[in-house]
Amino acid sequence: MLRKKLPFLHSLLSPVSRHVGHLTGHQYDVIVVGGGHAGTEAAAAAARVGAETLLITQKIHTIGALSCNPSLGGVGKGQLVKEVDALDGLCGRAGDWAGIHFSILNRRKGPAVWGPRAQLDRQRYRDFIQSELLSTPRLTVVEGSVEELLVTEPNPEEPGHHRVTGIRLANGSHAISARSVVLTTGTFLSGSLFVGQTTSPGGRIGDAPSSAGLSHTLRERLGLRTGRLRTGTPPRIVKDSVDLSLAKLHLPDSHPTPFSFLNTHTHCKPEEQLPCYLTFTTPGVERVVRESLQLNCHIQQDTKGPRYCPSIESRVLRFPGRSHQVWLEPEGVTSDLLYPQGLSMTMPPDIQLRLIREIPPMRRAEIHTPGYGVQYDFVCPTQLSPALQVKSTQGLFLAGQINGTTGYEEAAAQGLWAGANAARSALSMPTVTLSRTESYIGVLIDDLVSRGVTEPYRMFTSRAEFRTSLRPDNADLRLTPKGFEEVGCVSSVRYQESLRVRNSLQDALTALQALFLSTSSWKKKLPSVPISETKSTLLTGLDLLQYNDVTFEMLASAFPESLSSFMEFAQRLKIEAVYKPHCDLNKKEIERIQREENMSLPQDIDYFSLPVSLSDEVREILDRVRPSTLGAATRLEGITPAAVVNLLNYVRVTEKKKETHRNQRQQEAQRDEELCANSASLPQ
Amino acid sequence: MLPLRPVCGGIWRAAVHTVRMSRGAPPYRLFSSTCDGAPAALADADTIFALSSGHGRCGVAVVRVSGPASATALRCMAGFTQRLPPPRTALLRSITDPRSTEVLDRGLVLWFPAPRSFSGEDSVEFHIHGGPAVVTAVLQALGSVPGLRPAEAGEFTRRAFQAGKLGLTEVEGLGDLIHAETEAQRRQALRQMSGELGRLYQDWSDRLKRCLAHVEAFIDFSEDELIEDGVLNRVDVSVSDLQAEIERHLKDERRGERLRSGVQVVIAGATNAGKSSLLNKLCQRPAAIVSPIAGTTRDVVETALDLGGFPVLLSDTAGLRDSSDLVEREGVRRARERVEQADLTLVVVDSAHLPSEVDRAATFLREHLRSVLPDTDRCLLVLNKADLLPEKQRQKLDTELRGVSGLPAVRLISCQTNEGLKAFLTVLHSSVKTLCGDPLFGAPTLTQARHRAHLQRCAAALAQYQRYRDTDLALAAEGVRLAVTSLGRITGRVGAEEILDIIFKDFCIGK
Repeated sequence: MLRKKLPFLHSLLSPVSRHVGHLTGHQYDVIVVGGGHAGTEAAAAAARVGAETLLITQKIHTIGALSCNPSLGGVGKGQLVKEVDALDGLCGRAGDWAGIHFSILNRRKGPAVWGPRAQLDRQRYRDFIQSELLSTPRLTVVEGSVEELLVTEPNPEEPGHHRVTGIRLANGSHAISARSVVLTTGTFLSGSLFVGQTTSPGGRIGDAPSSAGLSHTLRERLGLRTGRLRTGTPPRIVKDSVDLSLAKLHLPDSHPTPFSFLNTHTHCKPEEQLPCYLTFTTPGVERVVRESLQLNCHIQQDTKGPRYCPSIESRVLRFPGRSHQVWLEPEGVTSDLLYPQGLSMTMPPDIQLRLIREIPPMRRAEIHTPGYGVQYDFVCPTQLSPALQVKSTQGLFLAGQINGTTGYEEAAAQGLWAGANAARSALSMPTVTLSRTESYIGVLIDDLVSRGVTEPYRMFTSRAEFRTSLRPDNADLRLTPKGFEEVGCVSSVRYQESLRVRNSLQDALTALQALFLSTSSWKKKLPSVPISETKSTLLTGLDLLQYNDVTFEMLASAFPESLSSFMEFAQRLKIEAVYKPHCDLNKKEIERIQREENMSLPQDIDYFSLPVSLSDEVREILDRVRPSTLGAATRLEGITPAAVVNLLNYVRVTEKKKETHRNQRQQEAQRDEELCANSASLPQ
Repeated sequence: MLPLRPVCGGIWRAAVHTVRMSRGAPPYRLFSSTCDGAPAALADADTIFALSSGHGRCGVAVVRVSGPASATALRCMAGFTQRLPPPRTALLRSITDPRSTEVLDRGLVLWFPAPRSFSGEDSVEFHIHGGPAVVTAVLQALGSVPGLRPAEAGEFTRRAFQAGKLGLTEVEGLGDLIHAETEAQRRQALRQMSGELGRLYQDWSDRLKRCLAHVEAFIDFSEDELIEDGVLNRVDVSVSDLQAEIERHLKDERRGERLRSGVQVVIAGATNAGKSSLLNKLCQRPAAIVSPIAGTTRDVVETALDLGGFPVLLSDTAGLRDSSDLVEREGVRRARERVEQADLTLVVVDSAHLPSEVDRAATFLREHLRSVLPDTDRCLLVLNKADLLPEKQRQKLDTELRGVSGLPAVRLISCQTNEGLKAFLTVLHSSVKTLCGDPLFGAPTLTQARHRAHLQRCAAALAQYQRYRDTDLALAAEGVRLAVTSLGRITGRVGAEEILDIIFKDFCIGK
């Protein structure tokens, strides 16, 4: 079922332009700045929703590049990939096309926390994303560097509020206008690269730094608060120089599981998959880190780096005297490089070489590209709405690392949502939000916009309160119908498929519940299953399927006439059966949160002069965060139940006033109409 | 009792079934009367209950239940098996514990189907006898009904507000009201949390958070990181330790809960021993009628008093004797019932009736106690009318009866001359203090039915961890999450970030 992808990219170059002259004066619905994981998903989603979209990137051939690790998915992150796919995004299908080593992490820990993951072939991933984008209707891709974001003068009635009108490109002062702009600049916003004691401006090695103009507009013109974060990447190792016989072989799953709900198999054949290798650091590694500390300016700075993706320097400094894992991962089928996961480092290149040679399989290893650190600006995401739109600037959307996140999957998820909303906003449709009760994307966005970040934000399953309901297996049921019906970012083919799946699962569950037998009859039907004799009650097929040792296949062979037609869904049905009672329990709490989330708080409230009884402390918190819903307000630290009630009270009263006002106006209008009608019918 | 069980088991199943059914029902429409089509807000689908009348001092207590499972509570506690009672009509019913089918009280029940109720939701009111024992028993029985939980501060009012049931002035004061209720509960919690009990809960909470952090770390990071399998084994041990400790704590005879509603002290004894005089002395006002006529007190006379800072609910009862008078017989029955439920009984004896020899007096008292009390563990012996005894005998009894085995503490007093009253008060005070379980020095005890309900949920959630430990770690972790949330309702909310902080402190996580 994999969609055919043409590898001959250049035959598809028609919508691409390397010359931007003719774009001047052109009006787009949406402009997306940046061609990374967030930018590509944003551009594709905006085009799917129906917007005329322009993607601007520094180099077309780096669109879809994997700047850091050659892998996709994992625990928590895999859930995001499944959800992006359920909303018809690119990364799931790209992963299925480019994967060369598939495995489900946490296989023994319960389906809610399974982590689909794949090692990727960098070249194939890029090819897929590029050809997908270049064949997307309504999407134009252009090379260029954005110099300035064009915004209107602040609205005199709402000081500090702007509207985006387009962008201006560097080297030529081309202005291109658009109703919405999505910024996905990654680590390029005031980015600096660090190797040893050398610092240079830039967001990624080999790419030109982005212009300072953009940073300036965001900070000075729009008054957005920014912060600074850091990250890093390991050196790439020449594969032939590594003695892999000294490392532990790690094989992929023998049956690769695709990410995408549309695919039944992966592009890579099971037997063509490549292995990974596991090795460990030695005391020598720690020695080298300590000796080189004074030569390492990245590590000496106190900018916040990710705690869960630390450099080897922070790992040995924080947990000394231990042996740390290092994964040696393939970079692609034809690549002669290895990616040493866990060895992100920023010391001078000669010391990097000394360090890796302290690890047995790499005794004689050669470095192809040294590791380096990046420090970059991010925009404090509490200034965004749940549609990822800057609250003070109509039409400006942000996604990816610019919001303080890390990771391809987090970027892709935000990109898709920002792109879809940018398009909706440009096409004068209301923006849409995802609840944290229905998706990991909702958890991600809610965490960002209502709590903000203090370190690069990465998804974990522990962040999701309703983890047992938000499973990788049911992402399509949770999101595809909504994506089609409410957002407009899902194709009708995928929508129809999700309906077929939903109906079949429903029918199968009904059929299982219709099997209503006594325990003794069940024992006869399924002699191998230990059904407790003491239970005198009747059990349904659904009850039985909750037993550890019962599979859907067993039930289907016992009752072929009613169940065999659902064999395609055997695994999903087993998971549904086991989780159903728990999800039912979650339902009440989910409904409560969703009701609170439906109570929106006006964005223009002046909390300091609000005529309700709120403490100064509470007013300050509300003013700083400006929660967009009552639900978000209740989750803020320092907000008391009394404050919530007062807010609710206020919202209710204002809504009522508005309604009365509306009714009055309607009545007046009606009266006027009647009067007109009367006067018209008066005899002249 | 036994034959009743299967029948009630049936009701019980029916009740559970109702709850399951009601989950599928559409969420309650709020603001139904005011803003049609407006999104509903803030309402819980949970059913809540609380004592709506004051604590301890009233003859009748009102327990309110509000929410979709109210009807369930009515069915399984007031014996409505077939259909619900007519709306808004008071009916006298036996109120039973759905777990044991034991009758807890007879009282009035009222059924208020939505939206015509105080909160706008389905509601039930139980009007029961005001004694703390009855109230506690009813609250605990409600807590065992599926879908019900104790109300948080201000929750009833909040629901009423959401349903548009409050008047304009009430709405304006609502924030303040909820603030006051929250504050009262916070002060109450603070009083408890600063003591040994607080330290105990905090310790549980810390250990639980660590368990959760380690399970979450094992789920989120173990595939890529060096997190040994031993982590989970340590969690197993911690979880079962915690579960055992919490369950043991829940079985501690509920000593602490008396702190809130007052210690039940009952004055009992033969007619005309001076019980009512003692009551009047203790509460320093003529609360009970005193006369030389035996059998003056026919019903239970209750007075709340503050004894050295401890709330005490003092009851005077009818003198115990066989009587042909129907009213007096009922009074004696009630007196005996009250003695059964008492935390502490003051057995009053007329000293003039005592044999003059100490040994014979001791035997007499032992026999007398046996006729008054089921057990002599929690009682004080009060020898009244000491002024009527010769000085010599008074001193002899006072000194020699103290060390006699098989007798509780004995004090000679005179309600007439106030002789011995001070010494008696000291003994009474120390007994009451022990019963309340001093929160500062005594053993940690439970002080609120609310805490109890949360602790029960916590223990049950830990059982879920053990049930799924080997088959589905996500569902097992869900158990620990629920346990942390339940305990967090006592000790304070625990956020995901706090758990992540523990993870990163305890493990070297590197991608």
